[in-house]
Amino acid sequence: MWEDGLCSPNQLSDQQVPYQGETCIERALTMKGSSEHGETSKAAPLGRGVSKGVSVLDLILRFIAIIGTLASAIAMGTTNETLPFFTQFIRFKAQYSDLPTLTFFVVANSIVCVYLILSLPLSIVHIIRSRAKYSRLLLIFLDAAMLALVTAGASAAAAIVYLAHKGNVRANWLAICQQFDSFCERISGSLIGSFGAMVMLILLILLSAIALARR
Amino acid sequence: MTSESATVIQMDDGRAPVVAAAAPPAPGATAAASSSYATAPTSSSAAEPAAAPRKTSTGGGGLPFLLRSGAGGFRRCLAVIDFLLRVAAFGPTLAAAISTGTADERLSVFTNFFQFHARFDDFPAFTFFLVANAVAAGYLVLSLPFSVVGILRPNKATGVRLLLLICDVVIMALLTAAAAAAAAIVYVAHSGNRRANWVPICFQFHGFCQRTSGSVVATFLAVLVFIVLILMAACAIRRRPS
Repeated sequence: MWEDGLCSPNQLSDQQVPYQGETCIERALTMKGSSEHGETSKAAPLGRGVSKGVSVLDLILRFIAIIGTLASAIAMGTTNETLPFFTQFIRFKAQYSDLPTLTFFVVANSIVCVYLILSLPLSIVHIIRSRAKYSRLLLIFLDAAMLALVTAGASAAAAIVYLAHKGNVRANWLAICQQFDSFCERISGSLIGSFGAMVMLILLILLSAIALARR
Repeated sequence: MTSESATVIQMDDGRAPVVAAAAPPAPGATAAASSSYATAPTSSSAAEPAAAPRKTSTGGGGLPFLLRSGAGGFRRCLAVIDFLLRVAAFGPTLAAAISTGTADERLSVFTNFFQFHARFDDFPAFTFFLVANAVAAGYLVLSLPFSVVGILRPNKATGVRLLLLICDVVIMALLTAAAAAAAAIVYVAHSGNRRANWVPICFQFHGFCQRTSGSVVATFLAVLVFIVLILMAACAIRRRPS
């Protein structure tokens, strides 16, 4: 079967080895026919290219999520506003630690930021070696858990920020943003990075699932 | 199982053998050779080896429907657990939605200006919580048929599983957001806040607070179930190297 000129071993790559029941000439002819349309010779590198593209996109999204969570944690953690007037009894001061929900927000964002930084090497390994299956599964599971954590933190902080802006008539809770202007602006702005990181995490889980389904 | 005129090539773990006759083939035998399931071979030479594989193809090698080995059996097992978990998660979400929606408490004291009355729509976070729970409950019901497809065709349902995984992720994020927002409001209602001068209202509205706290706990349980569903869908999508 290997004696004719079309089937010398150095002309066929190992993906073009004919399977049993087909002669070598038939296989070589079909290879030639389809390579004129560019299908079979491009199918395998195209699949590898798409996988590598998915893994590179995964890495980029991870970087963006890291920046988002880090910025949120820092912006919320450095809030400190003291009003210029004070009475005999209290001094009007606002910090993130005065509201336990905002403390939870800072902690959750820090945890997710550290997790994302630690998962960067795994993501780089996926670019280099596309065959990893168990690590992608682990990554999906941990990404889902971190998505739950960051969503919880961002959403709870958003509820409190809304309360600080609008107050609540029924429960007689006053809107504190009337006095603490820059504190309110800071805590409102720091939510953006966290929600952006949440969207990035959803996209990351999607990409990992598509990469798992493709092999 | 072989006869002297037909060669049986075992494929698919012996469930669906392809009968290739070396003798001059009757039309029924070539029809059986070209299809992978020996459904109705009409030639007499193929009838005898085909009757036994037909029995084994329905029996699956003697194992019951759910316990077949191999990648298909594993996926089928995961799909059954997926279905059961979806049914299990429907309960807490629906209960949380209903219990928040009907949480209405009027106190027996009232002043000249207003009556002490608490309902879920006094707090926008609880409105969002109610809506998100209702959406999640509706989604769980609508995703049951897709889950059943995963049980019936375990090896060919990758696209359906991928769709379910994506929707599960989105709905899980929505539910977590709603539960966390409601939990923040419930926490402030229980403990108040000294710096912002927010009074804890739970001391007066006892029943309302209990109702909403219970709903929040139920929703967090549903979120846990969703995370397990996502993990199982990812396990089932993963292709085995074959």
